[in-house]
Amino acid sequence: MAANRVLVPLSDTVTVRQTVDYAVRSGLEDADELECHLVVALPYDEEMPEGRTQAEEAEELLSRARNWAEEDAGDAEVRIETAALGTDEYLFGPRDYAEIFASYAREREIDRIVLDPEYQPGVTARILQPLERELDRRGVSYDEAPVDRPARHGRLVTGGQRFDQLFATFWISFGFYLVLGDPFYWFDIVTGVAVGGIVSTTLAQVTFSFPLDRVRSPIRVGRFILYIPYLLWEIVRANIAVSAVILRPSMPIEPTLARVNARVRSGLPLTALANSITLTPGTLTVRADDQRLLVHTLIPSAREDLFDGGLEKAIRFVFYGREAAGAIASPRERDDADVVGGDEL
Amino acid sequence: MIETLRFWAAVALLGLGVFFTFVSTVGILRLPDIYSRAHTASQTDTLGAGFALAGVAVAFGWRNVTVYTVLLLFFVFVTNPTAAHAIARSAAETGVEPLLADEGDETDAETVADGGEKR
Repeated sequence: MAANRVLVPLSDTVTVRQTVDYAVRSGLEDADELECHLVVALPYDEEMPEGRTQAEEAEELLSRARNWAEEDAGDAEVRIETAALGTDEYLFGPRDYAEIFASYAREREIDRIVLDPEYQPGVTARILQPLERELDRRGVSYDEAPVDRPARHGRLVTGGQRFDQLFATFWISFGFYLVLGDPFYWFDIVTGVAVGGIVSTTLAQVTFSFPLDRVRSPIRVGRFILYIPYLLWEIVRANIAVSAVILRPSMPIEPTLARVNARVRSGLPLTALANSITLTPGTLTVRADDQRLLVHTLIPSAREDLFDGGLEKAIRFVFYGREAAGAIASPRERDDADVVGGDEL
Repeated sequence: MIETLRFWAAVALLGLGVFFTFVSTVGILRLPDIYSRAHTASQTDTLGAGFALAGVAVAFGWRNVTVYTVLLLFFVFVTNPTAAHAIARSAAETGVEPLLADEGDETDAETVADGGEKR
């Protein structure tokens, strides 16, 4: 008797366990042999820092799923294959996913795909429906696993946080609108409220991907305003230094690549730091792998400034407060900065 | 009196803006590779545009338009590093080797070897 072959795309959801269970059970219903292919599709290619973390998570998920499938199989003849797909390309949207699953299924003569109803690869929104449409168009038969799912809440965000997000987004967009318009003209105020309302309801969750703090977030904004004059001063200083080097006939540049491990959290603080480094002429962030910044420096004085960590201290002040800024040693002192060769790129 | 002062302040600021834009142009022409050119290209955006917009703000005086120049500067300051980083990163990803100063013979040799391989 021919074995059933089934493909199960996995992602880390609440229903993935039940999906594997369903795939194994339904596959064994009309055959006594089953070949179960468990795959994870990776949206990023492995070269990128996000991709590497994802590849590790995928491995972990695959090994867990293999255990589940073995458990569900019991004594029946089940062969389990696991694979990570899309490691060498950048998957964008349901069409790419459908294509990669369809070609995998074609190569291995798989006749059925079992989909997790909550399937959500990568960080993007759920793509189940468009994915099913694309699979239909390719003539691949699929099956949605019947699962009990817990009631879905907005993940991570509670009611109060949602309000804070709306509140902050509303006042930012309203304020910006009035800056462009006339704050004392009733028409501008009314349309501003309307625009602020639309913007905040549609974009609040995109604008703030992290929970806001009612006390600390405004303080951070205040400290950021204090940071701007310092940044401007650094920019002027670096500009003059670079200009002097460029205008000198001998042009004594000394380009180097330097690696600095920044002691700031990923996300906004790291972005602010990397952008500030790039904004000051003489230092240019080429790569940012999580906290490891690879910086191209043009002149020695710029490199010294970078290793002294003035900007890093300032960013720490903005996001973590004065104690955090004072406590940290410069990257040079804590051995987080060194000059590297071109092969580090 | 105040008006003349303001006029000359605006002229001085615009002059500084032009000067830094000029330096940046010279830098683009003189510097050897894409990475070092990206450094100097950002000078136009930071101080070149910065002084020019400050000149505009002074010339307009305290008006609604002045706020726009500050906003403009803010957006330039946000987009400039993003663009510079995008250029540098795509250069790095397509395998453009930076020209580096001598950091001992070892790195130098490696740089040359790698560069030869990728071309």
